Amino acid sequence: MSSKVLAFINFKGGVGKTATVVNIGATLAKLHEKKVLIVDIDPQSNSSVWLMRPDRWREHVTGGRKSTFQIYDDALHGKNRFNFEEALVKGVVTWTGFTDLPRLHLLPAAVELLRIEDRVHELRDSAVYRLLDAALSSYFKEYDYVLLDCPPNLYSTTRGAIFSADSCVVPYVPDYLSLSGFQVLAEEILNMRERFAPHLPARRKPNIGAVVVSHYRQSGNVYRLAINELELSIAQLQRSGLLSGQTAILEPYIRHCVRVAESTNEHLPVILYAPGSIGAQDYCDLTQRFLNHFESKK
Amino acid sequence: MNYAELAATLHHVGERLSKHAGKIEGESMGQSARILLTHLSKFEELLDGYIASRKSGELLLETLLRSPAAKRHLTIRLLKEGLRNLTGKRLRSTDLRAAKREFVERVHEAGRQDEASEFLQEAFAEAIHVDSGGKDKASLQREFVGLGQLAEDEFAQEIQKKSLGELRRLAETNGIRFTDKTNKQRLAALVRRYAQRAVFNISAAA
Repeated sequence: MSSKVLAFINFKGGVGKTATVVNIGATLAKLHEKKVLIVDIDPQSNSSVWLMRPDRWREHVTGGRKSTFQIYDDALHGKNRFNFEEALVKGVVTWTGFTDLPRLHLLPAAVELLRIEDRVHELRDSAVYRLLDAALSSYFKEYDYVLLDCPPNLYSTTRGAIFSADSCVVPYVPDYLSLSGFQVLAEEILNMRERFAPHLPARRKPNIGAVVVSHYRQSGNVYRLAINELELSIAQLQRSGLLSGQTAILEPYIRHCVRVAESTNEHLPVILYAPGSIGAQDYCDLTQRFLNHFESKK
Repeated sequence: MNYAELAATLHHVGERLSKHAGKIEGESMGQSARILLTHLSKFEELLDGYIASRKSGELLLETLLRSPAAKRHLTIRLLKEGLRNLTGKRLRSTDLRAAKREFVERVHEAGRQDEASEFLQEAFAEAIHVDSGGKDKASLQREFVGLGQLAEDEFAQEIQKKSLGELRRLAETNGIRFTDKTNKQRLAALVRRYAQRAVFNISAAA
């Protein structure tokens, strides 16, 4: 199977990173019959607790062993305790108590990941960013899409995700605070491209493949103007070589929808919790665009 | 619980039952067995239907017809077009709910479920409206940035050369909302303000 590995990154928090990962992942699995793996490497474990009931998640990841934490802990302690099959959660449990979305798999995170950033400096630099790839790349082949949900920073675990990925997706909120960070992100990714080049196959170069806009409101000028400034900024970065010509803002923009927020409390993606909501409709259309964009780049 | 765990449980119960079948007696066991059998029969019927519809491609078709994408993009016209293309038959139903049912039945009769799913997926993909901003969007955006860099008198000269229609197109493409009553002077002021802001924000970000 030819898989597409995508890192969802933004060092600004609250931009809809997890919502994008969870809902695009679920829609790919449900409506396009794609086999999807979500890898949660954020210590906040938001993808994990969105898709798992908190008691089940806590039971599953107790001690961090059946989570992505174990990958890093193994490297720090020279152990080999991470077991992909044991850590994997297949499907999401609905109110019936049984699983749905069998094509959607999750490798959950554990809060113990918080301890990782303080200790990874004990490892060689190149070893740090290759950890995730070394542990998981052989399993990635089993999936059509692998979505890496990164923490809101550009530290070691995020860099490891960027190293593993074919491309990055940047969830974005249309305001100046996001815009100001976008340029820095593009520069950082370009730096990583140079640093990672000796360790990566020629076809795999860290890049921003797409920007996904969340929390959009159609009323008034505010958001349209902010999107225009993002478009102008991307065009400028493309001219200066910081972004490739293939970087695209994917539409439709995800509008604010209370049903999406509610779906986190139900531990279901919105396509299962409220399929008639504008949130579900927006994510359906966005996922179609997402497929068109990334499949055409294959 | 997932279905593999349910299968393991059923298997385990089946094995134990088989081992002790000749020794089981009593009313409570009999009653419980009868209830289990009723539920098992219903479950097996559902399971058979599910497996058959999955195998034939009908499951995906039904999922697509009930999907959020269908809620936004599915019309009777689309179903009519699909049925005509796929089976050569005419869709008779006039309300969407009945039309969906008829569509599934006719497609099922023709054994063309996979093609019908493909048709709907393509139709939904095409129906997603994206405002491209027109072929001259990039040049209008460049012009906008250029205007934001001009001194007040230079800006006024540039605006003077433009008709209200051209100015509206420039404003619209760059995300500025206005009404039919917005006059040229007011629109020019909006363009100046937001073009300057764009230049400032983009260069500050850079």
